[in-house]
Amino acid sequence: MARVLAGNGAAAWGFRLSRVQCYPYYPITPSTACSQQISRWVADGAMQAVTINAESEHSAASQIIAAGKNVRAGTATSSKGLLYMIEVLENAAGGAIPCGLFIGNRATGAPINIWADNSDAYAMRDSGLIQIFAADGQEALDNIIQGYRIAENLRVRLPFAVNLRGFTGTHAYEGVEIPSQQDVDRYLPPFVPLFSLFAPDKPVTYGAMLSAYPYRRHKRNQIAALSNASEIALQAGREFADTFGRAYGHYDWFGDKKAELVVALLGESASAGEVATHYLQGKEGIPGVALLKIRLFSPFPAKEIAQALQRAGTKALIVLDEGLQHGGVLPPLAQRIATAVHLHLGGKGPKVASVIGGLGGSEVRQEHFQLMFNLAANIAEGKPYRPEPYWLDIDEDPIFVEHESQVSPKLWKRWGEIWKKQQRKEKYCAPIPPDTEEIRIYSRAGQGAITSAVGYTGAGIENGYRLLTVPAFGSERRGAIITTDTLLNFHKERRVRSFMRAWDVVVLYDDTILYSPEHQVLDGLKEGGALVVNTSHMSVKKIREILNADERRVRIFTAPAAAVSEGLGLKHINMAMLGALHKVYDKVPFDKALGYYEKHVPRPREASLEAVRRGFAETTDQEIARAKKEGRLPVSQDFLDWRPEDHSQESWPSALEEVQLG
Amino acid sequence: MKEEERALTSPNRHKEYIVTGRLVEMRARADAGESEKTGRAEENKGKRLSPPEILTIDEVACQPIEGIDAKKTLSAMADIGPQARLFVYLAEGQPMRHEIFEDPRVCLDIHRGAVIENRKEKPKDVSGWRTHDFSIDVKGCLGDECGRCAIVCPENAIHLMGKGKGSFHEIDPLACKGCFICWVECVRTAADCILVDGKTFDPGMRAKHFGE
Repeated sequence: MARVLAGNGAAAWGFRLSRVQCYPYYPITPSTACSQQISRWVADGAMQAVTINAESEHSAASQIIAAGKNVRAGTATSSKGLLYMIEVLENAAGGAIPCGLFIGNRATGAPINIWADNSDAYAMRDSGLIQIFAADGQEALDNIIQGYRIAENLRVRLPFAVNLRGFTGTHAYEGVEIPSQQDVDRYLPPFVPLFSLFAPDKPVTYGAMLSAYPYRRHKRNQIAALSNASEIALQAGREFADTFGRAYGHYDWFGDKKAELVVALLGESASAGEVATHYLQGKEGIPGVALLKIRLFSPFPAKEIAQALQRAGTKALIVLDEGLQHGGVLPPLAQRIATAVHLHLGGKGPKVASVIGGLGGSEVRQEHFQLMFNLAANIAEGKPYRPEPYWLDIDEDPIFVEHESQVSPKLWKRWGEIWKKQQRKEKYCAPIPPDTEEIRIYSRAGQGAITSAVGYTGAGIENGYRLLTVPAFGSERRGAIITTDTLLNFHKERRVRSFMRAWDVVVLYDDTILYSPEHQVLDGLKEGGALVVNTSHMSVKKIREILNADERRVRIFTAPAAAVSEGLGLKHINMAMLGALHKVYDKVPFDKALGYYEKHVPRPREASLEAVRRGFAETTDQEIARAKKEGRLPVSQDFLDWRPEDHSQESWPSALEEVQLG
Repeated sequence: MKEEERALTSPNRHKEYIVTGRLVEMRARADAGESEKTGRAEENKGKRLSPPEILTIDEVACQPIEGIDAKKTLSAMADIGPQARLFVYLAEGQPMRHEIFEDPRVCLDIHRGAVIENRKEKPKDVSGWRTHDFSIDVKGCLGDECGRCAIVCPENAIHLMGKGKGSFHEIDPLACKGCFICWVECVRTAADCILVDGKTFDPGMRAKHFGE
């Protein structure tokens, strides 16, 4: 049964189920939670492994290499941490030492940016590792297990890296199937060290110096082993499907079998692409469209991908790279695909155009994929296109230009001829009607909005619904206004991970957010959607006045969450707000959800559960008699002494663990 | 003209050194006992997991392994061709895991991972590198009271022989490349301990090497 896990938690499960015996790490955003979870398991005795708090990523990488000679080893890192590891990781590849990395992909500065793109994975592409891209937590878990299977194959014996986009992948809470340990043990045999250190019967030297003659022969062998990984990955994916029912290949083809227009990309951003592809499929006047989500980046399955494009009769291929080319002709993925198409299909292959997008946490949204399909359609018609990458979502240098005045004369001089011939087409770019239900929580950092949203997601998943919660992470301090979004997908057959930004419910954890000039809480709220506000002194009428919205526009509810929590002696209002959310939005039935909350609410359990119940009972859209507006709450010594680390709530997955371990 | 061969006295029980001019060769002593040749590995056999082995088709054909169907294995290996390997992991003499695979190496003399199996590697004879012969005068050596030369030797060519009062150091003439480090570092000021070309302290040579 699926249970709610963040991408990092799923990756940690991947390492745990693979029975990783040594896990040295140095934490870095956004992959920290994976290492944290493993450390906790090791401390609790749930996982038999050695964790090492390394003094840097360089040491952590050195330690997995040393450990990888004798035991199954793994670590997690991101961004600059990975760049710091690269120096050492080449030794793992050259030394034929199988070990595993989980990478929460993140931009590499300068300027400093903690959000996602593939720059770090691209920077390591020449280090000789097997690179696999996962699109969600489930794939991260599955790919780590398969990664060890591929990496330890005797025809390969190389380190591997599983990549997952930072935050939208690593911090997205969704339902993840955790395979049973017995099944994984059957699929993944125990690690056998080939050239063990400390084997007195068979002493060996690692990392000996080789002169040119043996060196060039060794490198030839190393690359032969890496190209074997392509075939082994297919085989491992097939056998994985036999055991666990989830199939993995070199790539995922989403959309029409015969697709003239294809967009290719790596990893998590595909979720928005799937929505756009699904929308465009079968529309009048639009030829076959498909999304090519590539799983295996290194070794690149060039021939297989070229053949797939040929089979589909593709005429135009847009490659989306979440990273830069840095002086190259095309960015890494586009360059690999273009070379593959050129070498294997020659002049008969599709035309390949490159787009750079999704940098530093930029979202690649449905409308961007619509633009890319539009561009592909133009190219398929024989229109000219740029022989260098287009940029996504840059107002000064757009893909399509309506009029010359929109761009600078210098740019117009350069690309004007191409822009004039490239037309934006309404049938591709029409807005997609929302077909999922979405909840947005505005809260102040530290109020526990993520905990409550994850609880809601967990309750939904346990009752068979498909939910996804993506909190927004930024450089905010405690007390800043943050958002947490939850998506409910009612499509049986279709995976939807991409938000439409059309909210059914907006929850305010603090009535002062109504006055924030930065946050227009009604923006994106569906007509007739619900707004629930935690307030002890504002009336529904007053809120309506502030928002200047009538009853048709928004249904307004008030929840006295602060009063409820204070009465119960709780430090957080989030449990009362969780009850309030259930009151205004009944897609996950409250009585069913309560069963989950009874087991899993954060401590103190009784009070938290009572807060959920009272939050549900006391939320109302009626005018009720209220105490006069209170001044500031009296500031007690208790309040001043409060430190976040004393009263932070346990996160939900660990609460789950605790139940499991008894 | 063939140069004269002479045997160098050595306390090594298994090997003796043969000197021809400046070159030194090592060969097994004719009288070395058979029982002493087998080391610890023999006693411990079966007591612990041994490292896995990777065998070629020839090796599998020559010595069948108990618990593995030789005929089936050989025919599967023959299907793959000369790159076929058998991976065997023995626990207490019984194969715990075995797997046939195609070796990704095309240059078969190079180990994957630049691993050098030390037991197979022969010690390199560097006696031809040096311009002077070094030896230790047993009479001057302090033995295990000192050991300075053995510590500083970059080639690990100096070994302690014996124990206690009668102990002394010996320079392995195959491994010594003539770097003078022991000669400089010797606590007996190199005067009456480390001999260069059979001679003790030589001011001329010192001036030549250290500019004194």
